[in-house]
Amino acid sequence: MDLAWLDFQGYGPRLIEGGWLTLRVAVLSMVIALLLGMFTASAKLSSSALLKGVATFYTTVIRGVPDLVLMMLLFYGGQIGVNMLTDYLYDATGGRIDWFIDIDAFTAGVITIGFIFGAYMAETFRGAFMAVDAGQMEAARAYGMSPLKAFQRVRFPLMMRHALPGLGNNWMVLLKTTALVSIIGLTDMVRVADEATKATHQPFLFLLPVALGYLAIASLSELLFQWLTRRYSVGFTEAND
Amino acid sequence: MEQLNQAIIDLLSGNEIFTANTLDIYWEGLVNTVHLVFVSLLIGILLAVPLAILRGSRFAIIKWPIWCYTYVFRATPLLIQLYLAYYGFAFVPGVRDTWIWFFVEEPIYPALFAFTLNTAAYTTEIFHGAIKSTPRGEVEAARAYGMSRALTIRRIVLPSAFRRALPAYGNEVIFMLHASAIASVVTIMDLTGAAYYVYARFYAPFTAFIFVALLYMVLSFGIQAIFRGLERWLLAHLRPAG
Amino acid sequence: MQGHKPLVAAMLEQTMPEPIHPLVITDLHKSFGDNPVLRGLSLTARKGDVITLIGASGSGKSTFLRCMNLLERPNAGEIVVHGESIRFKDTRRGREVADHRQVERIRSKLSMVFQNFNLWAHMTLLANVIEAPIHVLKVPKAEARARGMALLERVGLAERANYYPAQLSGGQQQRGAIARALAMEPEVMLFDEPTSALDPELVGDVLRVMRELADEGRTMIVVTHEMAFARDVSSQVVYLHQGRVEEAGPPGQVLDNPTSPRLRQFLAPKH
Repeated sequence: MDLAWLDFQGYGPRLIEGGWLTLRVAVLSMVIALLLGMFTASAKLSSSALLKGVATFYTTVIRGVPDLVLMMLLFYGGQIGVNMLTDYLYDATGGRIDWFIDIDAFTAGVITIGFIFGAYMAETFRGAFMAVDAGQMEAARAYGMSPLKAFQRVRFPLMMRHALPGLGNNWMVLLKTTALVSIIGLTDMVRVADEATKATHQPFLFLLPVALGYLAIASLSELLFQWLTRRYSVGFTEAND
Repeated sequence: MEQLNQAIIDLLSGNEIFTANTLDIYWEGLVNTVHLVFVSLLIGILLAVPLAILRGSRFAIIKWPIWCYTYVFRATPLLIQLYLAYYGFAFVPGVRDTWIWFFVEEPIYPALFAFTLNTAAYTTEIFHGAIKSTPRGEVEAARAYGMSRALTIRRIVLPSAFRRALPAYGNEVIFMLHASAIASVVTIMDLTGAAYYVYARFYAPFTAFIFVALLYMVLSFGIQAIFRGLERWLLAHLRPAG
Repeated sequence: MQGHKPLVAAMLEQTMPEPIHPLVITDLHKSFGDNPVLRGLSLTARKGDVITLIGASGSGKSTFLRCMNLLERPNAGEIVVHGESIRFKDTRRGREVADHRQVERIRSKLSMVFQNFNLWAHMTLLANVIEAPIHVLKVPKAEARARGMALLERVGLAERANYYPAQLSGGQQQRGAIARALAMEPEVMLFDEPTSALDPELVGDVLRVMRELADEGRTMIVVTHEMAFARDVSSQVVYLHQGRVEEAGPPGQVLDNPTSPRLRQFLAPKH
């Protein structure tokens, strides 16, 4: 059997590297999104009007603006903004603070995607947080658990059951959104396929395998989330069936 | 009012970026974005209605291909679908000699092709879900009163499903508006393309992108408001009497 | 089970041609999988009959009713509506309806009133009432509208004509559903536990409307748990047990002097 086509006209290794980059961008921005989402959800549920206002502004803006525009703003504007800030610090401190912060495409991509999906995660977490019955937490406290312990042992697992479908959904969308980093110059698998297509004029040879790559990651994630959902819904399923 | 007008004129004359020329480019971008999104949504919904009905068929040979189509288009990035349409037609040997080339040459057609298939896939699933959640009793009542299957779908199932699908479809419209920003990568001068042009021309990323972000926000919230109004009107039947 | 017919009536039946009855069902069988639910049921509804079907849950009374308009497909037996027999054909998947058009036409003559009303939620009450007359019977819109309003007036809902079902109480919805059934000018009205889903204080209004319908000579088949209604209104009471007719006859006979021990137990006051 002839396996030469697996070489993808010499683009094989670069496609693999691109796939690896896609995965790293996805996972890192997911981590940022989760943290930011948790934080924003708490802010929205807090009693501080300021925190609530900031959180609402953040989620509203994100919902109104395309991902790509935000990404371009951060990538093309971010460096100028950071330079302006470090210049100001340099002047203000008489040269004692002399930083240079470099915003590369990878950082810009990960931060933007994390920032965008933080807003969506916030909605998911907020819903899940509110869905946990207050009596459950009261019971935990009544049995002498500390607030942290009660969160860790009772609220978090209960909340995850409600949050998982939303998290899974957001992850799937996030995964596809990573394709946008190719536009700001990161060599993820879409970029490699794009370059290879332009060079060889064989679009299907490169774009279809990349599409399959996304399909594979999506399908695997789906299985993972199904497993997690089963795990966190122990004691809740088949009550009525 | 006079003062406000004067303030705006001062603002516009006081900067070098928002000249008549760049505003013209933004306008062209707006027209292209609205055109792209509107046409693909329109054709998409026309495809999605029959597909959603067939998606619920009891015959595997009808049901499965539609499921595959929606799964693949929803699980892969729109950017890849756009590239496939854009390069796929152009680089197939011989295409340049046929009538198809007339359409493919303009990047707007491959973009419309990809966007339409993409939104049709999402919309099919939205409608399918809404159709599936039609109360059984209502369908049964229609059958019990002598309605044929087709009449039941036309008079009972679809009108009730469309109403239920409205909020989700509103999200899909905003999603398409945002997703259409990638049209600029295949050299279409849409809103994002216009912003990029202004950025590159004046090296003013904040002005260029924040302005276009605001435009998108106005469009998004406008769409949202329209759908809220539609819901108030078409979902009146779900509200208890006040 | 056989009543004692007066001699003259028996002789008349022999000599006169059999009149065309609104609904005649002969030896109906139905099973879900291996589980037989109806085991040979027959029933004749003459014009003006009010037949109540009673029985414990699982006795098959609702399934029987739903077989009459083919919402459930019987496995065997004959259904004749106003002299027209529903045609079936045998296929690999079992017995199927031979002609869907025929079934649709016959269904339009047998209006059903459901336990859960099943009004179409996206239509106003009036739109619910005129929907099938316009689109199935092809009645002109203006005429359907006028008749629909008159029917809503009858059931005491004229001023609710433009309300949506979700804005009405259960009792109002059910009276609206009865108006929808009447709008078809049916040969027979089928009632599937019409008061079971209602709050007790709303039952009375619905039963009153049904009594009026019986008084004006409508042919009705009613599955119900309302024994007072069965006793006062019906011309015939049929007690079903495990998919068979255990006892049937005029209400005075069946409800007051039951012969079957099971029926006696069923009718015994609950504690």
